[in-house]
Amino acid sequence: MTASERAIKWSYMDHWRSNGPSGPVDQWHSHKTMSAFLKQIKATGFDAIDTFDFRIWQMYGDYGGPAKYQQVVQDHGLERIVNTFHAADYDLRNYAPHLPETHEFILEDFRVTMGRWSEIQLDNIIVMPATLYYDMEPVTEDKLKYTAECWNKVGEITAGYGVRLTCHHEFFSGIQSEADIDTFYSYTDPRYVSLFVDTAQHCIAGVDPVALYNRHAHRVSGFHFKDTRNVATGDDHRHRPDSEIMAPTTGKWFYEMGTPHGLVDFEAMMTAVRDNGYRGWISVEHDKANKQGGDYSESTAVSRWYAKNVLEEIYR
Amino acid sequence: MSAIRWAYAINQWKPQFDDFVRREEHERALKTISIAGFEGVELTYGTGRWEPLGNPQQLAANFGSVAGFREFLRSCALDGVSSWYWDPAERSMEHLTGPLSPLAEADVPAIVDRARELATALAELGGSVLLVRPVPGAGDVEPLDDDAIGRVAACWDAVGRATAEHGVRLALHVDFLSALRRDHAPRLIDRTDPALVGLALDTGELTVGGIDPLAVIATHGDRIAHVQFKDALAVDDAQEYLQPHAHWTVRVRGGAREVPRWFAEPGANGGLVDFPAITRALLDAGYAGWIVVESDQSPHPAASALLAGYLVQQELGPMVHEQRKAAV
Repeated sequence: MTASERAIKWSYMDHWRSNGPSGPVDQWHSHKTMSAFLKQIKATGFDAIDTFDFRIWQMYGDYGGPAKYQQVVQDHGLERIVNTFHAADYDLRNYAPHLPETHEFILEDFRVTMGRWSEIQLDNIIVMPATLYYDMEPVTEDKLKYTAECWNKVGEITAGYGVRLTCHHEFFSGIQSEADIDTFYSYTDPRYVSLFVDTAQHCIAGVDPVALYNRHAHRVSGFHFKDTRNVATGDDHRHRPDSEIMAPTTGKWFYEMGTPHGLVDFEAMMTAVRDNGYRGWISVEHDKANKQGGDYSESTAVSRWYAKNVLEEIYR
Repeated sequence: MSAIRWAYAINQWKPQFDDFVRREEHERALKTISIAGFEGVELTYGTGRWEPLGNPQQLAANFGSVAGFREFLRSCALDGVSSWYWDPAERSMEHLTGPLSPLAEADVPAIVDRARELATALAELGGSVLLVRPVPGAGDVEPLDDDAIGRVAACWDAVGRATAEHGVRLALHVDFLSALRRDHAPRLIDRTDPALVGLALDTGELTVGGIDPLAVIATHGDRIAHVQFKDALAVDDAQEYLQPHAHWTVRVRGGAREVPRWFAEPGANGGLVDFPAITRALLDAGYAGWIVVESDQSPHPAASALLAGYLVQQELGPMVHEQRKAAV
């Protein structure tokens, strides 16, 4: 079966760390480390990569722009860059979607950002749609409504570039509970705002990712397939200054799919993907895989092994 | 028509005797080998309870039986074991025996018996080649005269006869410390029975030893029974292999230069081996059988396996396919 005949193609969300002579280095460290990264992604059978917005500076600085960097990706046998993650610096003073007075600053950020990416065609630009939980609480219906209004406008901007604005609900973000997610989507415009299901983040937040996906399948524009071994407890989701890597209860939240003791039911997830008739890209992610002795190469191999040998038996 | 199959060697995952003993570590390594595009795995002989993959007795102790280990391999989407590397100078805790030497006629029956055990298990695991270290290191024995070469040849002929009964070929693996380095290897191989004894071509060992693998293919291509693709990062051009205990002082410690790493996965930065040229030469020589890719030593085993997998998938494998297509 060729790539064009498959219902599902696999993209790798680029967190990664490479091994340098003096310790771990970013894979963007040099053309050599970038090449080694891309070779490993291709060797495991991924079709493409996802990346972060902030990488655009290295694309311009080291490669001459997104189109030329994408050519490097293609020279390694990968199809293209599918999605970018817009990792914004949320701040109540100027960048907080639940505060209308910050919206114009956010909109301008996206006008500029989409222009920078316009030389290649992305599928999605992914955002965390809310500030950190502790900066948004208490989460009220009004705040959810203001937030939805913000992303409706942003989505209109990205749609002008043929790119879907899609929301990724971190367990430590202001919109992470089942009820708040549902309310948020009830206020967003399906033409401009989509849902990007991160299996681990929802699981950590105590939300069943399969049920959430089934409820919102018509709004879903992509997935991060990653696993976790822990559900957030107590104040994990609102720990100051950070929950993602500093929560006292859990040193490492994220694991590659295929990990032992994982909480995500990927077989049920893949069955739901099939039954909802989804066609397109699934992104695989295991951010911070190198924490506590982990290894990006091995996590990438194990997760892609799982996709090929387990999930593709369900739907491909 | 070429019938080349690709496997990966497990030894890079076990830098120390107390590493890589747990089932979940084996599972992750084997899945990594599988997803990198390899269909088999090469085992390295080891002894004792911290060598779960080292010999048939330990496989049975850990997986219920040798067949149980093959099931485990299949659960990791690998077809089986390609080959097993064994140095008879390694003791066996399972048999309560010390080092055995092919130079000592009294040791030959035990060497044959041990090889037969390994070959029996190999056959059950889908493997087809037993690799052996044919003689000790150059610094650890007297220079090999004709009589010594004759005794060694007789030993390996007897072993090859025993393994052939199980459909397993015997391949002599000449490493860069070997007393057979340089001109002794052809002398030995020429005195063995071609029907029973073959040569293992290890690109990394030959290159570190200052021997061009292409020259070996040119002169002994018809005797090559097994191939190992690993890269070399340095050459022992000071002949340090002649020192006593060179296994520790040269191979492990790196010799006077303290070479941090002699070997790496094919295509590594700074690698000295031209793998496309060697693949082409093997195809031209009509080689059929396993090519086992290895790193031997690696600070990052999964990365080594994936980078090697990329080279095989994108460059070396297609060369084999092209030749196959041309032959049809």
